[in-house]
Amino acid sequence: MKRASSRALGWLGQGALGVVALVWLFPYLWMGLTSLKPLAELISSPTALWPEQPTFAAYREVFRSLPLLRYFVNTSVMALGIAALQILLALPAGYALAKLRFRGQRWAFGLIVATLLVPAQVRFVPVFSLLAGVGLVNTLSGLILPFGVSALGTFLVRQALLSVPDAQIEAARIDGASELYIVYRLLAPLLKPTLISFFLFSFVSHWNDYFWPLVLTTDEHARTLPLAIALLREQGTGVRWHVVMAGNVILSLPALAVFAAAQRHLLRAVTVRGFGG
Amino acid sequence: MTGSLLGACADPAVPKGRTLVSLWFSYGGKNREVLESLVQRFNRGQTRDFVQAVYQGDYFEGLAKLRTAIAARCAPVLSHVVGEVVPYLAEAAVLEPLEDYPGLRELDLIPELGQERTWSGGGARPLCALPFNRSTPIAYLNGQLFARAGLAAPRDWQELRAVAKALSERKAGGRFGFGCPINWWFWVALVGQAGGSIVAENGRISLGDEAGVQALELWQGLVRDGLLKPPPGRDYNAWEQCNQDFLSGRAAMIWSSTAFLKYLEEHARFPVIAAPLPAGSKRAVPTGGTFWVVLRAADSARKAAAARFLRFMHEPEQVIEWSTRTGYIPVTRAAVRALEQRGYYTAHPNDRVALEQLAVAQPWPWSVDLFRIQREIVQPRLESAVIAQGNARQTLTEARALALEPT
Amino acid sequence: MKPSRASDPYWMLLPTLLLLLVFFVFPLALLVKHSFFSWDLLTPARFVGVENYRSLLRSGELWQTFRTTLSMSSAVVFGSMMAGLGLALLLDRPGRWAAFVRSAVFSAYVVSWVSVGLLFLWLLDADSGVLAGVFRFFAHGRAPRWLSDPALAPWAVAAVTIWKITGYALVLFLAGLQDVPQSILEAAELDGASPAQRLASITWPLLRPTTLFVATTSLISSFQLFDVVRVMTQGGPVRSTTVFVYAIYEQLFLDLRVGRASAEAVAFFGILLLLTGAQFWLFRSREGA
Repeated sequence: MKRASSRALGWLGQGALGVVALVWLFPYLWMGLTSLKPLAELISSPTALWPEQPTFAAYREVFRSLPLLRYFVNTSVMALGIAALQILLALPAGYALAKLRFRGQRWAFGLIVATLLVPAQVRFVPVFSLLAGVGLVNTLSGLILPFGVSALGTFLVRQALLSVPDAQIEAARIDGASELYIVYRLLAPLLKPTLISFFLFSFVSHWNDYFWPLVLTTDEHARTLPLAIALLREQGTGVRWHVVMAGNVILSLPALAVFAAAQRHLLRAVTVRGFGG
Repeated sequence: MTGSLLGACADPAVPKGRTLVSLWFSYGGKNREVLESLVQRFNRGQTRDFVQAVYQGDYFEGLAKLRTAIAARCAPVLSHVVGEVVPYLAEAAVLEPLEDYPGLRELDLIPELGQERTWSGGGARPLCALPFNRSTPIAYLNGQLFARAGLAAPRDWQELRAVAKALSERKAGGRFGFGCPINWWFWVALVGQAGGSIVAENGRISLGDEAGVQALELWQGLVRDGLLKPPPGRDYNAWEQCNQDFLSGRAAMIWSSTAFLKYLEEHARFPVIAAPLPAGSKRAVPTGGTFWVVLRAADSARKAAAARFLRFMHEPEQVIEWSTRTGYIPVTRAAVRALEQRGYYTAHPNDRVALEQLAVAQPWPWSVDLFRIQREIVQPRLESAVIAQGNARQTLTEARALALEPT
Repeated sequence: MKPSRASDPYWMLLPTLLLLLVFFVFPLALLVKHSFFSWDLLTPARFVGVENYRSLLRSGELWQTFRTTLSMSSAVVFGSMMAGLGLALLLDRPGRWAAFVRSAVFSAYVVSWVSVGLLFLWLLDADSGVLAGVFRFFAHGRAPRWLSDPALAPWAVAAVTIWKITGYALVLFLAGLQDVPQSILEAAELDGASPAQRLASITWPLLRPTTLFVATTSLISSFQLFDVVRVMTQGGPVRSTTVFVYAIYEQLFLDLRVGRASAEAVAFFGILLLLTGAQFWLFRSREGA
């Protein structure tokens, strides 16, 4: 698909591309370079580009001062749990909304989409005291359950199912399949691309969650990685930026890795449009 | 494993047979290392208890987590909190009274640092807080610059002005004679020096009345004349910025806590001289730092274990280690005597400054609103008044009115 | 299709609706209820009627928070859309280099706010940050105190936010550009229209639905900024970056005023509803265009 403007870019255009690349890539580069500097260099020449004596001391310090594996596990379990739960619930819900006619259908759909209006930050006060009341503060369940419903996920499933011919489902019914079977064993595989996209998107965005784990967790039992890395910025006796940046590298890598491996899928989930439909 | 991962507030692995004491602390950097090493020493030195220390961010973040954890019934056994909030926690009945635990009544604490004299009438109340890292504000002088200019530590506000003026470079990006975090603590010191107190004798929240205004105006004047560098940020960011300014020579003299003594001495490329704060109409300093508290909601076995840990921490050896490695004031008289005998203070005169300043230390009022007044009412207004050069009298009048409103 | 059993749809929706009830509907109701009390979580709650709301209004806090949030969000939306559109036009070309740059821009969207916040905290450090170094080199002066000057801090935080979310606008504009029919553009070129004219009279109008969508979704999500503020400025200096969510967080966790925090959250929710209502109204009226 050649566009009229795809003729060779002039100097200006190439320069612009270069500047853009610089603006978006340089920060990461700087992060990595800083993480390899020894403390002495950081203090004496913090803005020097290359470390004179690159070292992994900062990374060792991060591993020493944080139970990183624990946080990794916590964060992964939480993100996985949320994404899985969301899909588990979105499938039957999306099916009911797309394929079945029943009373209150519009209300149900409206209610689910309406949840987009109620961000976590508005509901956290009462949800926190609710979870506190049942002893789920500082637990992974407490981190997962409030996010079990995804309006986006339900919407995506519904959209995708609208284009599945009814005949297929009716045939399965005649063959004696239960509705649950239809949803999870027949339709889910058909929706694989959508589900994968959504799963990845949800996983990554909840992996990065900061707010909810911040208010809900109190120690490494359920604390997640973003929190732990943010805490690296210990104050009072001088911030050790190389350690903070090393932690930052560790924090950013998983999201970037998923992005590099599955860019297309992630983008698909982002470019959903037409919510008014 | 999933069960334990998903379980509610389940206890993590602990050496078999030991009583687990969860300790939430709020230090970073060097002080954190020292605390962790002392905790390790305790754990290794006996087989009955096991203290597990968890870092929770800075003082205020840690306190926020503590209070919400108490409400969520997920609180640790042991923590440490700033002095200003102890009355509030005590009156809310979440702190365990400590008198009856073996050995805690006879700790030979320096009275100004213990509950007895830290708060007015502190001795009359049940013991619920033991001093941990205690400090006073002190002045740090850049030895090199002061020697070169032939100046000595200012003894009163006029001299403060004069010294700051002499050492300030009057060009853009030049050195400031004086640096000070625009912080409640230093304001309280200034109020005391101007002859006032935060809470009047009859319990009225006066915010120093006239003295409060004078304190604020002193700062404003110094900033206006380019003698005082206003550090930015909130809470401990401001302190750190101030320390960095001192170390890099951008501020010739700063007010900070004795807590940073070792840190500054270690990192400065010039001799560091510690000095007491100057007098206004008199000398006065508040005390600072935090107190150990045991949470009432924990079970008795753990509370007893926590009490044993506290006794350990108050033994001279630990007190000396904590104090000499960080710069906080040693909290027991036995420790101070031991240090004097060793000639420590002769070799390290800077360490003596905070200790001697205790003679003019002022108690805090035992008021449940003290912390709220600090955090919500006064501190934010100090920043805006100094940074934006607002009207000091009006600012404090507003603050006083707010303080009197029911929460 | 008719359900095989009449109760089927309800069973299928039950888990979803149950969670919704517990974590959305119920909390909203509780939120409103709490807003009429004064409670610090440790001692019993006290009924105070509309005092919390009155106090928020009287102290000017609500208004200030709204103003701060609105100005920062507007800057973010405007900035990221301009950048997103500009980048889309620039990067809408084949070739590996362009694809690489597109990925680079979008990758910022994928990492966590904590990552970005910490990173720019370091980059913008007024003494040892890279930008300060550049300033010293080129301007021979001290760099502005981006994050510690109340006048600059909100814009610094907004700039960091723009950096992170421009990828979102970029991707959506790219998709929108694909929808612009090649034939029309080529015909216009043949007729002698300059690239600028083509952009103004053909591309831009056709991009309007995309623009609107991006604008409104970005506005609503940027109104919910929290992480970056918490990591970089903690709402300061002097409350200049205290946006709504941060204000609510502070009221609740640092000051332990559940009632007041709830009142503020109710106000925040009301404003979000208004914004979303505006979005739907605008969007609906354009649907046919």
